[in-house]
Amino acid sequence: MQGFLEIFDIYLLEAVVNGILLGGVLALLALGLNLIFGVIDVTWICYAELVMIGMYGMYYLVQYYGLPYYAAAPLTILLVALLGAALHYIVIEPLLTAPPINQLLATGGVLFILQSFATVAFGIDFRNLGIRLPVLALGEMHFSYSRLLSFAAALVGMVSVYLFMTRTYTGTAIRAISQDRQIMSLMGVDTKRIYLVTSALGGALAGLAACLLVLQYDVHPFVGLSFGPITFLICVLGGLGNFVGGFIAAFIFAEIISLGGLFSDLEWGYVLAFAFFIVMMFIRPAGLFARRS
Amino acid sequence: MPGRRISRLFVGLSAAIAVLGMAISAEAQEKKIKIGVIYDLTGPLAGGGSELQYTGAKIMLDHYAKTGVEGYNVEAVYADAQSKPDVAINEAVRLVEQEKVDMLLGFFSSAQCVPVAARVEQLKKFMWITTCISSAVLADKGFKYIFRPQASGDQFGLMTMDFIAQNSKEKFGKEPKDLRVAIIHEDGAYGVDVSKGNEAGAKKAGFNVVLKEGYSATAPDLSALVTKLKRGRPDVIFHTGYNPDITLLLRQAREQGLKFGALVGHGAGYGVYEKLKEGMGADVNYVFNTDPISIWLANQKSMDPKLPPMIKMVGEEFDKVKPGVAIRSAHVGMAASNTYVFMTEVLPRAIKKYGGVDPEALRKASLEVDLPEGGTMLGFGVKFHGEGQQMAGQNERSFPVVIQYVDDKSYVVWPKSQAQREAVLPLPKGTTFSSQ
Repeated sequence: MQGFLEIFDIYLLEAVVNGILLGGVLALLALGLNLIFGVIDVTWICYAELVMIGMYGMYYLVQYYGLPYYAAAPLTILLVALLGAALHYIVIEPLLTAPPINQLLATGGVLFILQSFATVAFGIDFRNLGIRLPVLALGEMHFSYSRLLSFAAALVGMVSVYLFMTRTYTGTAIRAISQDRQIMSLMGVDTKRIYLVTSALGGALAGLAACLLVLQYDVHPFVGLSFGPITFLICVLGGLGNFVGGFIAAFIFAEIISLGGLFSDLEWGYVLAFAFFIVMMFIRPAGLFARRS
Repeated sequence: MPGRRISRLFVGLSAAIAVLGMAISAEAQEKKIKIGVIYDLTGPLAGGGSELQYTGAKIMLDHYAKTGVEGYNVEAVYADAQSKPDVAINEAVRLVEQEKVDMLLGFFSSAQCVPVAARVEQLKKFMWITTCISSAVLADKGFKYIFRPQASGDQFGLMTMDFIAQNSKEKFGKEPKDLRVAIIHEDGAYGVDVSKGNEAGAKKAGFNVVLKEGYSATAPDLSALVTKLKRGRPDVIFHTGYNPDITLLLRQAREQGLKFGALVGHGAGYGVYEKLKEGMGADVNYVFNTDPISIWLANQKSMDPKLPPMIKMVGEEFDKVKPGVAIRSAHVGMAASNTYVFMTEVLPRAIKKYGGVDPEALRKASLEVDLPEGGTMLGFGVKFHGEGQQMAGQNERSFPVVIQYVDDKSYVVWPKSQAQREAVLPLPKGTTFSSQ
């Protein structure tokens, strides 16, 4: 009993809070991907690579052009939003009526193009923004402001997207299109424009993620590999296209990783998270928060 | 008539001699050794040190491409393993079967070395490993054609444990049994192998191991590992990692308020000072690294006199490729030195004594290399374990050294015979991670 109680120490609490903060990072990443899938019904396999391009954008704007972080961030968000719109216009739009596997392969191709482009353009060096945010210390527990910032941004991002989708005309049109693509064009809604706006919005969210991740991670052409698969799993777990589901799934996933890693080897945290994902796919194949049809 | 016959015979003979001469000359011109060189030029390992190794090997190969060796031209064919073991295997096979190289040289990652060495041995081709250190590459394999002048992973792990054990009482004021140590490592062949050496060394020294754990080098979060380290309160952390996992771990360690007395790294990411500095800032001060000695730090007085000019040449060429680097990485010299040993000890002997550059000649020549300590730019000697031995193909005379980064300079601090200064132990008060 004594041994059992010993695990309820300050470090357990720290691991729980760190899990929540990691959840914020993952939720932020999942938000844009879910939005795209929910509306356009296409999965951007290359989503994490857009984040990587955004991280490079931040790095160069801050380190080479000397812009302050808060001036560079909006420019980066704009840059990745444009990239998202361009991705839709050049790659996705011609494939909208193609089988889903073709769309997946096309965005997979973009993933390799972006990785190779970054290798050639920026080199293979790991680059660090060099900004160190202070640390919040509560007794024995310490928390990173960069992660707190990500958590807050994920929360604000989700609420903003929710309000945009429910309180604006464009948002309503986006939701309507996600429910019935064909009928909305018959009712006079410009679906092409809505898709473009949604892609730009998804890109902007990738840009926002980039601005916050660059405070926590070195940027290199393959940084997307650390986040891409896990983000995709979170979206599927939450129900592809359900951004509230994705948001909650991110925290569940992050807590399993954090607490699993605390009580066992770090690798087991990931094994448990993926095992949980597989089990849930058997129980709820459409995702944890999918509506029953 | 006899006159015409004689003149015909003379013309005929002259023509025959000329043709024969031209043929011999052409054959002499065509004599060359084609070397397949594989490192990671893209992917996470490239920036973690592999590209620097490539640079070091290329400097040496370019040098011998100009001069040739014993009448043989040296031609290098480069391939990128892309930080992936499957690509490394495919490229090795492609170089052997399609490019028809005579041998393979290079390899940074142990995860690549283990399968590639087995495949190359199967193909009965010669492989000269400049870098990867995992013991698993050679241990109990009985390979005939795979040779590694580099120190092995368990030597790295044992060396650092010995270093701390010998300093435990004096520097930490604790008996080794009271010293709390943590062993953490990336979970590939390289990290696992070094950690085994660490574990054996800790057992020998009698340390109190509070944590031993591996993690994936591409893990997006290491905060749970940091929390466990905080719970374990280690005096010394022994870490084996690439980059950017090292930077991620230390960034999260700082953010979570981890304290310790010393951080001891084991090559790879810890060997690239510029990147450590970029990621850690001033916190890189007093970090230890274990690697074969940087050729620019090695004691040149005890070296073979023909080596210092080569070291100078490598440094000058490196500065042309990467100007303005504060500390020239040990990675560069490691590949350059190990390539130099092949070019000066193995290749000439294979050509002169065994008549060519086929795998058998190169193998026999390698087994005859007998360099005493001071015989290489890395300070150690070279003598390979022979066939039938547990580590056949491994250099039995190689050893790493422990260096410490202090104020943008690196100093050898262990073993004592090579030490340039006293180690700063434990971390001074006022530094970010200091537990004092």
